[in-house]
Amino acid sequence: MSQDELIQLAVSAAAITFLIGLAAWARISRPQAPLDEAAARRLFDEEFPARSLDGVWIASDGTGAIARSGDQALMLCRVGDGFAARQAPWTHALAGRFRGGRLSIRLADVTAPWVTMRFPAWPPQETAA
Amino acid sequence: MMKAPFDPVTLATPLFILTIILEIVLARLGKAKARYETKDTAVSLGMGLVSSIAPVVTAGAVVAATVWTFEHRAFTIPMNAVWAWVAIFFLEDLTYYVFHRVSHERRFWWAAHVNHHTSQHYNLSTALRQTWTGGIAGTWALWLPLIWLGFPPGMVAVQKGISLVYQYWIHTEAIGRMPRWFEAVFNTPSHHRVHHARNPIYLDRNYAGILIIWDRMFGTFQPELDAEPCRYGIVKNLATFNLLRVAFHEWVGMAQDIVRAPRHTLGWLFGPPGWSPDGSRETSAMIKARAGGVEP
Repeated sequence: MSQDELIQLAVSAAAITFLIGLAAWARISRPQAPLDEAAARRLFDEEFPARSLDGVWIASDGTGAIARSGDQALMLCRVGDGFAARQAPWTHALAGRFRGGRLSIRLADVTAPWVTMRFPAWPPQETAA
Repeated sequence: MMKAPFDPVTLATPLFILTIILEIVLARLGKAKARYETKDTAVSLGMGLVSSIAPVVTAGAVVAATVWTFEHRAFTIPMNAVWAWVAIFFLEDLTYYVFHRVSHERRFWWAAHVNHHTSQHYNLSTALRQTWTGGIAGTWALWLPLIWLGFPPGMVAVQKGISLVYQYWIHTEAIGRMPRWFEAVFNTPSHHRVHHARNPIYLDRNYAGILIIWDRMFGTFQPELDAEPCRYGIVKNLATFNLLRVAFHEWVGMAQDIVRAPRHTLGWLFGPPGWSPDGSRETSAMIKARAGGVEP
């Protein structure tokens, strides 16, 4: 790499740092209200159309939700000011690690290796029977 | 002839920075429609920065193939003829359409292109979320027929740069619709919002670079509908802002699939994104069909 190219790269990196700072300062991301059941159901409907939901559990801090649809667990988790959705077998979600009010579910997905959410209890009492 | 007399992208870089500043400030003041999320912006701009040096990895092969092709060209086209620039404008734009369509409809090339679509936002910074692996994917070879025809490599490089710069300004929600005649002929923010949307009706549509006429001709055009606001991103949005995962996730996923079921290697590589041997995953066509869309 020539010296000119290195200078160009350094100036670009400085400009990028400035732009990221400007974006943070501007506070113009989407509004991030905590999820309630209606909002979660709407998002589940968008992500998994035509799937009936047997139950929906909202994370304590409203940053995610898990729904049961037959033998599948449908999951929503906040990413920045948006959401990402994944699904896994319901038994896999039930077997997730739950410690200190935090549920962690390992997924075989390079773009979502873990789904982590806060719940008062896990598994949900309604499904314990 | 071999070297581009100037690089439109380098010349336009200050414009990129100034217009992003303008978009953010106008949105902050409530004068323009734009959303910026800090980590998302960092990923877009970080991808852009590394993408500017990533071609070094394959530069040797690209230059060698280009020189060899030019030495075996069919005709010699002068770089200073107006007709030649008119011809390269249309031919390069058609080549871009083919490249872009292949990059969406075949997984091997989608693996290189997908990261441009991973933002859940649509703003000027999204335009800079460019691939790191385009050279490895080999899509540059699609431009070799132009060199073989006799267009000087420098001329092709300039036109590719002009196309890239043109496509920058259409990555915005701040501009609604352009005049009707313009929307009919050129790619616009409205047309390209459709391209970045994950709503079933908008999937795999509007591949144009500069001219939208190719989509109209080849049946891949979809206008933006007021009743169907664009939701941006990919079918399975990423749950990470890790640059390496953003850049390489589809390559990793493809490799995992091949290791898991090597008998279906060709399908994993060259089937449409979402293809699986047992149909347990969904391609764009399946999603559109399920949503009630009609496939061309």
